[in-house]
Amino acid sequence: MLATLAQAVINGLLIGGIYALVSIGVTLIFGVVKIVNFAQGEFVMIGMYISFFLASSFGVDPLLSLLISMPTLFAIGVLVQHFLIRRVLGLGDMPQIFLTFALSLLLMNVALLLFTANYRTVQTAYSESSFHIGPLYFAVAKLIAFVIAMLLSAVLYLFLHGTDLGKAMRAAAQNREVAMLMGINPDRVFCVAVGVALALAGAAGSLLMPFYPAYPLVGQVFVLMAFVAVVLGTLGNITGALIASLMMGVAESLGVQFVGADSGLIVVFVLLLLTLALRPNGLFGGWAR
Amino acid sequence: MKKSNSKLGATRLGRRDFLVKSSGALAAGAVGAFNIRTAAAADTVNIGGLYPVTGNFAQIGQGCVNAAKLAVQMVNDAGGIKSLGGAKLNLIVSDVQSDPTVTRTETDRLISSYRPAAIHGAFASALTLIASEVAERAKVPLLTGSSSDQLNKDRHFTFTPFSRASQFALAQLQMSKLVSDQPKVAVIFENTAFGTSTSNGLREQAPAQGVEIVMFEPYSAGLSDASPLINKVKASGANMLFPVSYLNDLILIIRAIKQVDLKIAINGGSGGFVIPDFYRNVGNAAEGLLGVAHWNHDISDNAQKVNAAYQKQFGEFLFEYAGGLVAQTFMIADALERAASTDPQKVRDALAALDVSEGYAAMCPGGKVKFGPDGKNIYAHPVGVQWQHGDLATVFPKEEARAQLIKA
Repeated sequence: MLATLAQAVINGLLIGGIYALVSIGVTLIFGVVKIVNFAQGEFVMIGMYISFFLASSFGVDPLLSLLISMPTLFAIGVLVQHFLIRRVLGLGDMPQIFLTFALSLLLMNVALLLFTANYRTVQTAYSESSFHIGPLYFAVAKLIAFVIAMLLSAVLYLFLHGTDLGKAMRAAAQNREVAMLMGINPDRVFCVAVGVALALAGAAGSLLMPFYPAYPLVGQVFVLMAFVAVVLGTLGNITGALIASLMMGVAESLGVQFVGADSGLIVVFVLLLLTLALRPNGLFGGWAR
Repeated sequence: MKKSNSKLGATRLGRRDFLVKSSGALAAGAVGAFNIRTAAAADTVNIGGLYPVTGNFAQIGQGCVNAAKLAVQMVNDAGGIKSLGGAKLNLIVSDVQSDPTVTRTETDRLISSYRPAAIHGAFASALTLIASEVAERAKVPLLTGSSSDQLNKDRHFTFTPFSRASQFALAQLQMSKLVSDQPKVAVIFENTAFGTSTSNGLREQAPAQGVEIVMFEPYSAGLSDASPLINKVKASGANMLFPVSYLNDLILIIRAIKQVDLKIAINGGSGGFVIPDFYRNVGNAAEGLLGVAHWNHDISDNAQKVNAAYQKQFGEFLFEYAGGLVAQTFMIADALERAASTDPQKVRDALAALDVSEGYAAMCPGGKVKFGPDGKNIYAHPVGVQWQHGDLATVFPKEEARAQLIKA
């Protein structure tokens, strides 16, 4: 019983690492650019296809293709910010919501057209392997994904707090006008923020590829949990999103284990409702400093 | 002035255009009529194939169309329909786009514009049910490999040469006895219409087969992670797992089982489990997995012959549904031969009287086809299959097994 419980927590934490990469991206864009990116899941999907094609055409290990998917998605992020998001920034909420929502639909359907609805998998030496400590099993592919996800989150934290560009990003997030008066170019800062957020989505895609099938609608599987984690962890709070994502993973896993396999999400949404009722600003009110 | 001139010109041109087009249509109509009147004397007999070549089922649908073309070519190469003066079969393929609404209009269009002597299709039961309704109303015979038991209710033009959904569940339960004398089965199913109806069928028939169901668990389709679910299966103490899932969840389930080193036999049922694409996606982890099928490429010498031809042309083995429709094409040819007519009503009567035990038309598990009043082949039953070395081998029932069961 205790082993089953511990195993459920481990399973939850490991998948929570993937949720974290997606939700940190969403919360970063919201924190800095003040726009909700509904297309974040689709950028995970693009990351997966990049890794899939590199693996199937050139035999590149999906983990190695991180080095290609992240820069590619960063570049896409800069372009999306410059040519799309920038145009709607001064407008109301509606055009902003429609923009990223339309982008999400567009990307899904273009992927359906180009890649068809078929499921694509990559077989790696570690796709099905695991090691165990006592009665507890650790799936290698998921553990690697979790460790890299945590490393990337740490690097992002250091970047935001230790570099001038990172500080400029936080400054622009706090007060755009004052930041401009201090000589910060918000357009440039926003481009970097969206680029970094999409690079994280790309990383999530590459890290998923060794154990998860790619298909055009795959982003939807992860984006729902990511949004819950973003709200729970307080909008714009990166550390909050990280912790909330891990909590969501564990809550879901425990829900499946002890409530029912079709009710894992019930536990997640009960948590969300309770949080919204008791702490409307999320568990970690305020922007991480 | 200029304006009205040009307008007049346009009208004149339009009128001329109309004349040209309408005379073309008249000519086409004449040719069409000519075709129908002389069909009995020679040339071609239209038969319809309804398959989803685009949309969700596109890949399977394309395989079906490939097999349908191969089957028609085989009939024609063997001399066509002799009682119709060696008339050749002419396959009209209609893309039903994995969409029920399109299926209705396409079936209608196929029947009204090509007047086929018979139709086969349409892979997914949901699509076939609609195609069958349209065909019944138009009084055109429809043959199908789809397994929904509903296709045998109140229908006179629908024929099902292969096993029914209820028989699949029975075979799946019986096969668990191959793995263990005391099967303890865990059923995990997606909480959709497909998952619920299939799993309920399994649960209802389990006690009579002496199979104990130790876990019966719906899950939300589109898993992000199968590990918690498999953790639960492990805790249930089951020695046999029936996942009722589509491919994306199935891949996660099978990988999660490998990851926790769980020794459990798996029977994934039919459909997406017994197509080459499944093995391509799951790879070595698919080895040893069990399934059920209404047709398999090793069930008879004839099946192996067709399979070899298909494999040579398309590079993969002939899968369940596609193999079954090759047999259906030969059933239609047999009926046309005996009816000596392309009239759908007469072809229907000839199909109802079909009784074959040799040749490609009898290329079914059991090797015999004879339809009962409900359109069911009275000899139909499924076979149990196992993935062995990247191929699908028939391992059940004993009399029809072509390979030894490999135990995990």
